Formats: sequence, C-alpha cells, structure tokens
Amino acid sequence: MDALRLERRLIIIAVAFVLTLFGLAALAVNMFHVGLPTCLTDIKPFQKGELITHSPTHYELHYVARMWEFDPEEVTVPVGSTIDIYVSTRDVTHGLILLGTDLNLMAVPGVVNYARVKFDKPGVHQLLCHEYCGTGHDRMAANLRVVDLATFQAKQSAPVQTQPSDPTYKLLEAKDCLTCHSIDGSEGIGPTLKGIYGRKTKLTNGSTVVADDVYLRESIVNPSAKITDGFDDLMPKPELTEQEVNAIVEYLENLK
Amino acid sequence: MIELPNERKIDIEPGLKRMILIELIFPVVLLVLGIYHGMMQVLYRSGMIHTRKVLGLEYYQGLTLHGVINAIVFTTFFAVAFGYAVIRFYLERPLNMKVAWLSFALMIVGTLLAAAAILSGTSSVLYTFYPPLRAHPAFYVGLTLVVVGSWIAFFNWMPAYSGWKREHRGEKVPLAVVGIFAAFVVWLIATIPVAIEIIFLLLPWSLGWVATVNVPLARMLFWFFGHPLVYFWLLPSYVMYYTMLPKLAGGKLFSDFAGRLTFMWLVLYSAPVGIHHQFTEPGISSTWKFVHAFFTMLVAVPSFATAFALAASMEHGARQNGGRGLLGWWKKLPYIDKERWLFGYFFCGLVIFIFGGVTGIINASYNLDVVVHNTSWLPAHFHQTVAGPIFLSYIAMSLFLVVKLTGKEIKFPGWNVWVPYIWTLGIMIFSTGLFIGGAGGEPRRTNMGLTYTNPESPLYHADWQAAKMLGSIGGTIMTLAALIFFVVFFATLFARSARAGALELIVSEPFHDENVRAVQSFTPWLAGAVLLLVIAYAPPIAQTLRSNFPGAPPYTPDSPLPISAAKP
Repeated sequence: MDALRLERRLIIIAVAFVLTLFGLAALAVNMFHVGLPTCLTDIKPFQKGELITHSPTHYELHYVARMWEFDPEEVTVPVGSTIDIYVSTRDVTHGLILLGTDLNLMAVPGVVNYARVKFDKPGVHQLLCHEYCGTGHDRMAANLRVVDLATFQAKQSAPVQTQPSDPTYKLLEAKDCLTCHSIDGSEGIGPTLKGIYGRKTKLTNGSTVVADDVYLRESIVNPSAKITDGFDDLMPKPELTEQEVNAIVEYLENLK
Repeated sequence: MIELPNERKIDIEPGLKRMILIELIFPVVLLVLGIYHGMMQVLYRSGMIHTRKVLGLEYYQGLTLHGVINAIVFTTFFAVAFGYAVIRFYLERPLNMKVAWLSFALMIVGTLLAAAAILSGTSSVLYTFYPPLRAHPAFYVGLTLVVVGSWIAFFNWMPAYSGWKREHRGEKVPLAVVGIFAAFVVWLIATIPVAIEIIFLLLPWSLGWVATVNVPLARMLFWFFGHPLVYFWLLPSYVMYYTMLPKLAGGKLFSDFAGRLTFMWLVLYSAPVGIHHQFTEPGISSTWKFVHAFFTMLVAVPSFATAFALAASMEHGARQNGGRGLLGWWKKLPYIDKERWLFGYFFCGLVIFIFGGVTGIINASYNLDVVVHNTSWLPAHFHQTVAGPIFLSYIAMSLFLVVKLTGKEIKFPGWNVWVPYIWTLGIMIFSTGLFIGGAGGEPRRTNMGLTYTNPESPLYHADWQAAKMLGSIGGTIMTLAALIFFVVFFATLFARSARAGALELIVSEPFHDENVRAVQSFTPWLAGAVLLLVIAYAPPIAQTLRSNFPGAPPYTPDSPLPISAAKP
C-alpha cells in the first residue's frame, strides 16, 4: 500500500480512538453524574468551618483549610445522607482528598470550591491535604465519620464536649499558638505545651535547660533565643502585651 | 566506539564547541544533586527516615531542588546545547558567537541565582512555585534569566534557518532542524504566559511592592506554561528518535512525513490543554475544563503516529539485519551493543513511554482525574515520561556529544550499555509502587515518613506500606543506574583524547520520502495554534479577571501567618 494512504488511515484510527475515550468520559458525566467542580463566583470565602443541617438527610459542610489543619477536624454525618461540601482556605493553596471516596478538591485562595457526596456505608474516612502547603503539610489531616442514624441522633442529643473556656486558652487560640503547639501532648511543628513547666529541655546548641518562668518568658517574647533540639527556628515573635505574657506563663505553669 | 557507516563529521569553531560542552556538562554535574534527593525522597516516603531533614537538606527544599534541577535546568540546558549542535551540523552556517555567549551567561547566572535561593532555605516552594507561598525574589529572577537565555539562543538560530531556506529553495528543511525549531516554538508559546506570571504578578509581590496576588490567575498562567513545557522536553527526544534511531537499528526512517506531521501537530495542540492540570479547582467553569480535555486527547495523536513510525523503522532495520517472521524480527535489534549503545537508551525510553502515554490519557480523561489528582499516581506518570524517554535520551546524547566533540573514547563501555536497562527496571518497579499508592489516595509531594509511614504517628497507614516499599526498591535501582552513568560520564570526560574532536550526529535516511506541502512551513500551524489558544484561554482568563477574587498576601512555608505579620 502507498505509505501516505496507510498513514492517513492510521491517523484516522488514532483520532477515532482518543475521541472514543473522550466520549466515554462525557457519557460518565451524563449517566453517572461524575462531574468536575465548576466556577462559583457568588460565594464569599468563609473563615469558619461548620456542619449545617438542612434536613435529616441533607447537610451542608463548610471546610476551612489552613496551615496545617482542617476546620472542623472531626465531623459525623448519618449514613445515606447527601452532603454538600464547600471548601475555602484561610492562607495558602491546599488540597482535599477524602480517602475511600471520589472527593478530590483544591482549596485555592479567594475562591470557594464545591462538591456533593453521598455516603451509602458507615465508616471513617480520612481527609488529607494533598497539595504542598508548607512545613506542616505532612500532618494535615481530619476525619469524617459516617454512622448509622440512631448513633448520629444519640450523639447529637448528648451534651457537646466543650472546648476549655479559660480566657488564656482563648488567647493562645487567637494568636495561632495552638497551630504548632499542642496542649494535649501530641506531636506538632513546635514542642507540646503539656507539662512544659519544669521540663528538662535539650537545646539545639547541646545544652540542657529546665523550663522555668524566665525560660518560658524568653521563649515567648524572643522565640529564636533558644531552640529545642529536634525543632526548627520557625516561630514568629508574637504581638502580646505584658499582661498577656504573664497570663500565658501562669497558664503554662498549671498545664500538667 | 567503532564508526557507523556514512557518519558525517564537521569541524566547528572552537568557541562554539567549548560552549556546547559546558552547556552539556554543567547540568550533568547539577544532576548529581538532583538525583541524590530523588533517592532521599523514596527513603523519606517509605518511612525509612522519620525526620524533616538529612545532612542539612530539608525534605521540601530538596524536593524543590529535585524539580528545578532535573526538570527545568537540565532539560533547558540540554535543549539549547543540542539545538546548537543540530543547527550547526545540518545548516552549516556560522552562528553569532557574541549572542551565543550572552545566552549562555544569562542561563548560567540564572541557574546560580535560583540555586542560591533554594540552598539558602528561603525558597522551598517546589518547582511549580504556586503562590501564595513565596520564594526569595532571586528564585524568580533566576528562573526568568534561564528562560530568557534560552530564547536568545533560539533567536540566534533564526537567521541561519532563513538563510538556509533562501539558498535551498524548494528543498525540505532537514527533519532534525524542523524538530528543534518546533521544540523552541512550543517553548516560546509556553514561556510567554509564565514570564507574565513571574514578571507582573509574582516578582513585584515577592519584593513587597504590591500586597496581594490573584492566585487563580497565577495558577492559570502557570499551567498555560506547564503542559506545553513537557512537549518542549519531548521534542528533542523525538528528534533523536526520528533521525537517529532508525539508523542505529540498521535501517531507514519509515516515514519522513510522520516526523514532520508530529512536530507540526505538537506546535498546534500542545498549549490549549493546560486546564487539564486544574480539573479539581474552583474558579474555572466546567465547560472550559471540558474543552481542554477534548484538546488534550488530540495531543495524544502524534504520539500514536510516532509509535507506528518508529516501530516500522525498527522493523525495517531488523529485517536488514536478517530478522524474519511476523514478530521474530524483534530479536535482530542491537539491544546490547557497545558500538550502537545509543540504541538501548532510545529503545528503553520508548518502552517506558508506552506506560507513560497510557496513564497520561487516564489523567486527561476529565472526571477520571478525581481519582488520581495530586496523588502519587501523578509523579509515577510523570517519571514514566520525563524520567523515561526524555531523561534517557538526554543523558545518552550528552555523553555521545561529549565523546564526539572531545574525541575521547567511552570508559567502561560494558557498563554503559546496561545503564538504560537497569534504569528501566528501576522505574517500572518505582512507578508500580506509586501507581498502587496513588490509586489508594496516597498524596504526592508529602514527607510521609513523619506521619503516614511512621508507625508511631496516629496518622500511620499500614495499608500503604507495601506500595511504599516497591517505590523505594525501584528508586534505589534507578539511583544505581544513574550512579553507573555518572561514573561512565565523568571517567570519559577526564580521560585523554584519542583523536581530534568534531561535531558528529547520526543521520538516518528516509525510507518513504514524501513531500507533503502542508507540513513544510510553520506559518499555518503557528497561526492555528494562536487561534486555538485564543479560543481555549481567552474566556477562562477573562473569568479569573472579572471575578474579583480577594488577593492573597505572601506566606513562607514555615508560618501560618502572612509575611508582613511574621518575623522580619
């Protein structure tokens, strides 16, 4: 056969092949409603995450992604319900992948993303950040629990576990301290604050100090002065009044 | 190395020779660092290392180096050096050395600036540098200088091209020259939007002259660049495949037309496809995502044409070597041949590319992307393309040109022939691990050793461990292949010259030498490309401009507070 005719035929076959694949993707959009997020321009990026109940089978879930956590971190929804998920970011670009589902959304500054999911089976789905968002990216995760309706209702009527209401705790939260330092002993970007008072702390320069009032005060006012071994010099100087520093030091002394 | 028959060699100006050599050797030296962190990454991710940094190099800092060196610096330097070699060899016209050295200096200075910015620890933003994570201004300036330097090299070839055409009216421009020009036309199309992103959005913002940046616009401009970029990498490999592989196989290029059509097709379709990297993003309507998905499918067609033309060319060669039968001829190719060692590098790249191509079609299939977007599936696909045909052909041609230009003999030729096969074994194991992990939701670009593969972390995923082990075994084998290559390359470089160096390329003759007018000129294809770009990008860019998204202040990767509020 003439080479050109052969080649023309092969190119037609190749074009037909890729367009068939494209057609299948389009078919999936129509038949199974597997679409992609579209442009939402009428929603202002929100700053607070929450679960809003529209009806017992319809919920609206607002996720705020921030360095390096999701708000809310724990969400429980009943099985069989439809969830409209809206995603916003408070700082840099993040990504959300809900393991075991097809939920895969980027959180881009300035824009709100949206997808609808429906859970047919109970279980725990882990939500991970899948876009590099800085030093703490590798531990940015949350949970979404799907439970049966009875468990869900029992949980809703039970008293909600309240956050500590201490004003100094609220101050730590407002100043973003708790983004890096936990108060429950869990690992973070910075050392945990639990039991920090009186703790023997090894420093990057090789020496060891006991965390007393003076050390705590210095570490708050001038974070770069002494760095705990195993951590990096990352903490910015916080804007705090003298009273606030005193209150935090006193709070830490009692945080056993 | 024994000479292949009909090899043509030309003596070139010593200045040009020196420049081509430095442009080949300099990025291979940097590659040692880039590949070192490639190795480190599989160790971190598989959970063999549970720390943030090793030997002073932090994970994400090393990842930035790995991407910038391997994917931007090495590729751009090689494309420019190889472009000089091809243009000088085929067009046989002098090039303006002052302009050439200017381009050279900009690229070297740019690379050093970007490297300094990354090594200082202030630019761990990965090689996609998505705002509002902010790098040191030197990072942006450095990358811009590398790009501008490569533009100047391309502009330097244009008079040679038009001069040759004037003297050879009615003749076809040599296929290799068409391929190199296609590569740099695609590069020009790709780098204009990213230059706009850097110069007008990121640089003033990183210097503090403007407070905020429009992130959706910056991302769209980045991916306007990001996809044609891969064809800029691929086209020099295609030049080697079309013009050298057939002869190495022992035969002729099955179809000269297939090569020209492939090159022109990539000029036409490589750019209006970038939104397929942004399928899961807000701020872009699903209509335009669908349009880009359609064009992305069409950009796969020239790779089908190439697969056919190259398989036919290899069959022709194998039959010349005495191969018989419907499939039996596959046995008669120079897979392990110290004289035709380039064949193994090219052939292995093509084998890897079959898998890279198939997974590329999966990624581009619109809604299928939600399963794999930003998981480790993506780097698996990416390595099967960039670290497959592109990497193997680039390191092979770097070694080949260094040997020919310096007149040296390859050291350890018996080791050299095995490099591509070891690499292929490694990359297939590596990407199998990443494909399995990615399909299960394992995130890419994540120091998983701290959490997901750390048994002491509450986030530990025991179910990901097996795939991670595959990834690290494959990555180790790849590093081993790279190490052997480095030993061969540098031992050859420091060996004594055996003869006078000359510029030499392998030239395959066409088997079918059709003269189809439609593929002889860039003009109609370039006009078509501009038209498609306007159709594909004007509406979504207008959308990002009209939507009045709140701008974002800059952040460093270390702090959840914007830079103005953080430590000075």
